[in-house]
Amino acid sequence: MSISTRGIVPSPNPPENLRLPGDPGRPLTLSRGVGRTARISGTLIAALWFTVPLLPLAFWSFADRWSFPSPVPTSWGLSGTMSALQQGGLSAFLHSLALGLAVAIIATPLGAVAARALSNGWAPFPRILTALLFAPVVLPPFAAAFGVNVLLLRAYVPPLVGLVLVLVVIAIPYTTFSMRVAYAAHDTRYEEEARTLGASKWQVLWTIQVPLLTPALARSAFLAFLVGWSDYLVTVIVGGGQVITLPLVTASAAAGTGNDAAVAILSLAAIIPPIVLLALLARSGRQHRGDRS
Amino acid sequence: MTSAIALSSISKTFAADAVPALNGVNLDVLPGTCTAILGPSGSGKSTILRIIAGLEDPSGGGVFVNGVDMTSVLPENRRIGMVFQRPLLFPHLSVIDNVAFADRAAGLSKAEARRNALRFLDMVQLEEFASRPIRSLSGGQEQRVAVARVLAARPAILLLDEPFSALDAALRDDMHQLLADIRASLSPTVLLVTHDRDEAAAVADRIAVVEGGQLLQHDTVDRIYHRPSCRAVARLMGGRNFVDGVAHDGAHHSAVGRVTVDENIPEGPGALVVRQEAIAVATASPSRSLAADEFAGVVSAVQRNGARRSIVIGVDEIDIHAELPPGVNLPVGAPVVFTLPRESVSVVAR
Repeated sequence: MSISTRGIVPSPNPPENLRLPGDPGRPLTLSRGVGRTARISGTLIAALWFTVPLLPLAFWSFADRWSFPSPVPTSWGLSGTMSALQQGGLSAFLHSLALGLAVAIIATPLGAVAARALSNGWAPFPRILTALLFAPVVLPPFAAAFGVNVLLLRAYVPPLVGLVLVLVVIAIPYTTFSMRVAYAAHDTRYEEEARTLGASKWQVLWTIQVPLLTPALARSAFLAFLVGWSDYLVTVIVGGGQVITLPLVTASAAAGTGNDAAVAILSLAAIIPPIVLLALLARSGRQHRGDRS
Repeated sequence: MTSAIALSSISKTFAADAVPALNGVNLDVLPGTCTAILGPSGSGKSTILRIIAGLEDPSGGGVFVNGVDMTSVLPENRRIGMVFQRPLLFPHLSVIDNVAFADRAAGLSKAEARRNALRFLDMVQLEEFASRPIRSLSGGQEQRVAVARVLAARPAILLLDEPFSALDAALRDDMHQLLADIRASLSPTVLLVTHDRDEAAAVADRIAVVEGGQLLQHDTVDRIYHRPSCRAVARLMGGRNFVDGVAHDGAHHSAVGRVTVDENIPEGPGALVVRQEAIAVATASPSRSLAADEFAGVVSAVQRNGARRSIVIGVDEIDIHAELPPGVNLPVGAPVVFTLPRESVSVVAR
């Protein structure tokens, strides 16, 4: 619905300094000088806070030697990259990628189902269920991983399956919370309308619910991916040394001496996928908002 | 003739509520007719529609469509279309793909579904908007697309849940005309939920008045207005005159006098009900004596009511509300005579 202002004729000579109650005396849409400066400064400081630590990382990645107190590497080269590859950096990168994707693919729909059940009141004992779902976040990770490992070993669960299983359990609180927020804002009458138009429950799921919740699903999947991508402790304990991921190789390299360049390139490699995914997420979110505005 | 929709003793109690939302509702709607379900907020009128559509399961009773028991049939298999108060157009689909949704769900190809959709968009005069995104539509256009989308599902029954209440008066009139055009061309059975008695009277053949989860009366528009079954129906239809008295010998007796009533009325205490717009008022003349169907009173209040004026006539401590013809005015204190037309007078239980 639009509001027409065609019939409203502005006064030819509006009295100066006329101020009605509640009128701040200036257009709300204009930035104030001080506020605008503070906002820009805050953004710049935040950007520096995140990028400055990455700068030495980027320098070290392509440095053969960087002696103190030189502000930049004293000798540039790819010895760090070669060393990282020799230590199994590439296969570890691929393992981490696969682990992150596996956790995202499994934990996202499970989180969505849990969130839907909790939002719609379908789940019995919702408070207890919520507490159970969020328990992995509250428990000390080492205790949880160690305890679960004993159980998995006794149940003859293969280490790789056990690793994915435990990481999925750790990721579910994040995906559930993210999807619960989305379902709270989701109007189920779209689905009812689709049903009366002849769509079955499955058609409604794929043609209405999933497209409408795509941004939230992407956010959930991103969080779940991060759980799998960045995990160290569970991979060490439950993986039993069978799955070598990027955090394991990086930690191993960091434990030795003279590996600064290799550690730097491995750390840099660990940052790239989340940043790429975050950028894709922001882009898809903007497009979705544009479609629905 | 088999009813297009028949509700048999429908009741509904929601888990969170102690009071039933619907209590033993029986309703028969003939094919091709338009019935308005009228009632205040929370009366259960939308629940009736949702039960017919299959979006809610009744706690008791049955839903029959053309004689077939539909009570346990899934909504997608009922061939009952529903338009909600909000258009609920799918935001990720274009206008034409919204209208083509039912055919796509039925398994038609995208091209064929879109070809069919164009026909229905043409019916609501929005063919040129086919390729536009939903966000480019105004509120009225959105509701037209919602109507086209539901028609494209070729429903035998059309349920409208206050679909025009969010529109301004001019758009609402347009939508009423659109509904009349659709009824003329497709003859669907229409069940419209509204809380606006003027809208109900404008578009429907019959009105079903619902209050407190009960169907109070289901009748033609004229009879609902002039022969309400009870005080609540008269009040919901905007009636303002309730004169307590006693009915016997085909007439109602009260402080106003003896008022002859056309229809058979139960003997005993009862309230005389007469529409304020049906009362004919004239200035009293001292030289003229009252006729048998005339009553005398004094104007005790005047209020402007659109182009007309509403007055209150005091008769022995009783207030009679009446409407004057456009342009006519009477001052407070003016003696008047009024007649209560027999065809507009009825008696309801006290």
